[in-house]
Amino acid sequence: MSFFVGVKKAWARRPCHLLDGVVTVTEMMQTTSAPLPVETPLVRVRELRTWFPIKRGILSQTVGQVKAVDGVSFDVREGKTLGLVGESGCGKTTVGRTILRLIPRTTGTVEYRGKDFFAYQGESLRKLRRHMQIIFQDPVSSLNPRMTVGNIIGEPIQVHGIAKGGERDELVASLLQRVGLDPSFAARYPHEFSGGQRQRIGIARALSLSPDFIVCDEPVSALDVSIQSQILNLLDDLQQERKIAYLFIAHNLAVVEHFSDEVAVMYLGRIVEKASSKELYSNPKHPYTLSLLSAVPEPNPRPKKTRIVLKGEVPSPSNPPTGCAFHPRCPLTREMARGGDERDTVQITSGGEPVRVLRKCVDEFPALEQKQGEAGHVAACWVTT
Amino acid sequence: MTQKPLLQIRDLNVAFDTPRGQIRPVRDVSLDIFPGQIVALVGESGCGKSVTSLSILRLIPSPPGKVLSGKIMLDSRDLPALPEKEMRKVRGKEIAMIFQEPMTSLNPVYTIGDQIVEAVMLHQHVSTKQAYGIAEESLREVGIADPRRRLQEYPHQMSGGMRQRVVIAMALSCKPKLLIADEPTTALDVTIQAQILELLRKLQRETGMAILLITHDLGVVAENADVVAVMYASRVVEVATVEEIFDHPLHPYTQGLLRSVPRLGAAEGRLESISGAVPNPARFPSGCKFHPRCSLSRQAAASAPAEQTVEIKTVEETFRVLKICTTVEPDLREVQPGHWGACHLIENYEGSKVSLPVLNHRREVTANAVAAEREGAVVVEVLQGKEG
Amino acid sequence: MSSASINAAGMNSVEPARVEKRRSWLASVVHHALGRWGTRLGIGWIALVAFCATFAPFLANSFPLLVRVDGRWSSPAVIHLTAVDFTLVIAAASLLVLIRLKKLPWAIRAWWFAGILGMTLPLTLFAVKPPLVSGYEEYRDLKHEGRVQWMLSAPVPYSPNDHLTDQFDFTHPQPWAPSRSHWFGTEQNGEDVLSVMIHACRIAMSIGFISTGIAVFIGIIVGGLMGYFAGIVDLLGMRLVEVFGAIPTIYLLLAFCAAFERNIYMVMAIIGLTGWTGDARFVRAEFLRLRGQDFVHAAIAAGLPLRSVLFRHLLPNALAPILVSASFGVAAAILSESVLSFLGLGLPVDAASWGRLLNQSVGQGGGFHLWLAMYPGLAIFLTVFSYNLIGEALRDALDPRLNPQ
Ligand SMILES: Nc1ncnc2c1ncn2[C@@H]1O[C@H](COP(=O)(O)OP(=O)(O)OP(=O)(O)O)[C@@H](O)[C@H]1O
Ligand SMILES: Nc1ncnc2c1ncn2[C@@H]1O[C@H](COP(=O)(O)OP(=O)(O)OP(=O)(O)O)[C@@H](O)[C@H]1O
Ligand code: SF4
Ligand SMILES: [Mg+2]
Ligand SMILES: [Mg+2]
Repeated sequence: MSFFVGVKKAWARRPCHLLDGVVTVTEMMQTTSAPLPVETPLVRVRELRTWFPIKRGILSQTVGQVKAVDGVSFDVREGKTLGLVGESGCGKTTVGRTILRLIPRTTGTVEYRGKDFFAYQGESLRKLRRHMQIIFQDPVSSLNPRMTVGNIIGEPIQVHGIAKGGERDELVASLLQRVGLDPSFAARYPHEFSGGQRQRIGIARALSLSPDFIVCDEPVSALDVSIQSQILNLLDDLQQERKIAYLFIAHNLAVVEHFSDEVAVMYLGRIVEKASSKELYSNPKHPYTLSLLSAVPEPNPRPKKTRIVLKGEVPSPSNPPTGCAFHPRCPLTREMARGGDERDTVQITSGGEPVRVLRKCVDEFPALEQKQGEAGHVAACWVTT
Repeated sequence: MTQKPLLQIRDLNVAFDTPRGQIRPVRDVSLDIFPGQIVALVGESGCGKSVTSLSILRLIPSPPGKVLSGKIMLDSRDLPALPEKEMRKVRGKEIAMIFQEPMTSLNPVYTIGDQIVEAVMLHQHVSTKQAYGIAEESLREVGIADPRRRLQEYPHQMSGGMRQRVVIAMALSCKPKLLIADEPTTALDVTIQAQILELLRKLQRETGMAILLITHDLGVVAENADVVAVMYASRVVEVATVEEIFDHPLHPYTQGLLRSVPRLGAAEGRLESISGAVPNPARFPSGCKFHPRCSLSRQAAASAPAEQTVEIKTVEETFRVLKICTTVEPDLREVQPGHWGACHLIENYEGSKVSLPVLNHRREVTANAVAAEREGAVVVEVLQGKEG
Repeated sequence: MSSASINAAGMNSVEPARVEKRRSWLASVVHHALGRWGTRLGIGWIALVAFCATFAPFLANSFPLLVRVDGRWSSPAVIHLTAVDFTLVIAAASLLVLIRLKKLPWAIRAWWFAGILGMTLPLTLFAVKPPLVSGYEEYRDLKHEGRVQWMLSAPVPYSPNDHLTDQFDFTHPQPWAPSRSHWFGTEQNGEDVLSVMIHACRIAMSIGFISTGIAVFIGIIVGGLMGYFAGIVDLLGMRLVEVFGAIPTIYLLLAFCAAFERNIYMVMAIIGLTGWTGDARFVRAEFLRLRGQDFVHAAIAAGLPLRSVLFRHLLPNALAPILVSASFGVAAAILSESVLSFLGLGLPVDAASWGRLLNQSVGQGGGFHLWLAMYPGLAIFLTVFSYNLIGEALRDALDPRLNPQ
């Protein structure tokens, strides 16, 4: 708490016109984009696929595809947060970067304010980019080591013609202050800051263009526990203040629950369950979500929850299992297959052991469908209802 | 409790000479580990956890590192004084170590089998054939299916979780008395982490070895440790049983840490946080190393007379703390029976004695993993819950 | 009440406690590189060579710097200065002044320097018309005749092309061994070796810098495009690199020198045009590594133009290995030129070059002249060695493992 008192104090120290400058810029941004009809999401992603070719040999023939993202659809609403969780390598980062067109997509659409984002090219794309920003996981590699903090934050401001010269420097100072850093440090280089401070600089850079959508790619995973909550609180405050929508990527479910309005769980390039944050935690419908929830270690020496330890290994996205990609590790299908007859079940090997699972899980891919519970709670599982 | 500690660390001090001057990553660290106990060492990045564990095995890179003072007693031998030849026998055979990075702790150009067999034959007088048998057995123990085939594979053919299991199998192949696990699951996913921790607990129960578990994840500590030592800025600032630490944390750092962890299913609203940044070992603050971030000291300063307080200015804010916190570094005292803390503002701190933290405590076994055969039923129960 | 902020320095890593921390990256690299005595010696030698190159006409000249003949004052040395001589002196003077102007930022000072240089060269080329050299012995003759009342000569009173025709001596043919009047002796045409060596510093400096400059420029462009765009651009670029990498520079030089008129610029161009492949590989590797880094993605996401992404964000981070390879490149270029000249092929016969002196150490009539081999040989060795020392020091200073930031 005391940290925010500090911020407020620092805020009060600045002459008022600087803050006015920020407001004007924000307003300017708002006027460029007309208010959205209620039913249109800010960002709409449909059937997004990003495949990376696997190349071999001197002639680099493509011998296969890593289906890092394989048919992902979701909406992010104005001023709201969509959490994206899943295991390492399931494609979360790839989703975030493909949406921002930092990685070429394979198929699918991304609409920003109802307009096809992939239709923009060249100069118009460059201009549009200011509305959609990104915050990275690694506070070391996300800042150019050869540029001063002032230039890192100020360059986009200048390039987009928001402010120049002294005005630009004032804007940079007020941004630094907003993220809780002393404005006099604009002349320093990133390596002079600690991890948490660098993350703040990264946030200030993302804010500099007054975006209305920010992809937060594991913004706190690389930080110390005691620093994480500082950054999360800052992001939270900024959202309240500026109505920014977040795509919040993380693998820590407790963080995501705390932070998101809606949560999507990814497994091997696909979304397997999506629901409002509360609903997902209280009423999970996909066995993978359940095992994720149960695997989070609780800071409590007498844990009450039961733990389901998954067997088998995470499969590779270059060669995903058929049908439901989760079937080799799924405890539910094993249970349902128990005592089932030959027609409905099938024997597979998982982690070197023979197990019997439902034939349907192996043969057919389950679609995301509405489950019992809240409206909008969808999951991709053949068994749960 | 007349059991003798397996490992005693007494006033360990380690220094590194860097171009910017000497840094002290470990200062006056004392710690006891009893047979069959899991002791957790928690703390933030750079607080000296790894250096402490490396100095037990005398693996600190030297130069630039050197042990300035301190004793490390394994049974009744003082490890820092042991000849290198003797020490080599201790490593691997009596104390084994698992590192954080499962990708780099295996040699990519040898097969898994070659590497385990080499470790086995170094410490046990067995034939190659027997060694392969032992290797196969230890892989089976860590839950790797088809171990005979896996022995022929190279590390890159395995996933992260499987590699970490191979590392554990290698560490356990010589039945060590003490296992040092330096962030064994930090690089892994939660589901794999759960597998690995479950495995470590099982092996620990079966073999009765002691574990020094190094981590920064309080969840992992809460669910696995018997005794917890909290490190901050290269010193141990609090030691207690795991139940005590989580029920009644005394040091403001521990308190802040526990409050700032987001918990599943917890109420919404703001997270609490510890302000400021982790101090750089090259430039530790004076007095109590936590004072620039300490909310307790700030609160106390608010109601204390001005001459007992000091103003502090940082990149982020300006505030006042108690003067004593900036001048005297508190040492570890037994502030309650079985609970050690190093902070001027802990109740009773002034009246308590400085003593070595020795705690031969075991937690109650809480079997929170569902037994394998019941697991499916539980899953069905939870997922289909309401209607049947 | 106690004084403020006694402990603040300890807590946050950006307190201005350490002066060392405030250095920019380049400054800290230079600082680390300079920490070695080997590098300092290397830089000292290169500085000496650069000094000689700049002020050669004032250091070794048959024309006196200031003279009074028949009661008239004049400065024949200045009159005989060429446009290049003038430019060099003006450049050196402005460099000195700009270095002193510590208040201006580096970038502005660099632009100023470039501007001055760009202005002076064409101006002098247009304005300076030195008289055609009539005879180097002119003032020696005048002095002999007693018409000189006062004379200030250069420290080495011989121009490099002064064949000492007035001192022709049958009984004692050229080359002359080192003596009081010719400290390093003379070569087969009667030119003073020390004078030739001083004037040859220009070629030594310029051949290294210009050819390496060409190589680095091409290398950055080609390597940068390959690394940034990857894919097909990279594939084609790599084939180009392989083709150029397969050209044996020295044979090409030999062939060209044999076929065309000898010309130092041609030599520089050939060395530069064939030597860029290494730089291109380095830049490509660095760009490939960097383009995946988050700060580059951040720059793209911020809608920065390609120009800025390439040259503001990627290039400065890729400069390290180029700097190192460039300093080795300079050394290699100097060596190539010496080899060519030694073979008697490189430069026009009257051009002052260390290699050409070496070439003459083996006399046409047989016999070996030690001083003609030793002094230029030593100069080549020291220069190449110095550049290698500097390159090595830079490489170590840039290695983050050896120099933790
Ligand atoms: N440029 C690339 N070329 C080839 N494969 C890639 C590339 N980038 C990512 N991948 C693969 O795509 C898959 C998804 O990667 P991604 O980084 O999106 O996962 P993630 O969910 O963000 O994981 P993490 O939690 O580890 O960050 C991984 O298997 C990865 O190996
Ligand atoms: N070889 C070394 N040379 C110089 N300093 C070192 C060296 N190894 C470690 N240190 C310093 O010692 C301090 C303690 O390091 P240590 O590795 O013990 O931290 P840690 O608590 O294990 O952190 P982490 O959670 O990041 O692993 C750090 O500040 C580190 O910079
Ligand atoms: S579809 Fe089948 S395999 Fe997939 S999660 Fe559901 S039960 Fe498990
Ligand atoms: Mg990722
Ligand atoms: Mg460590």
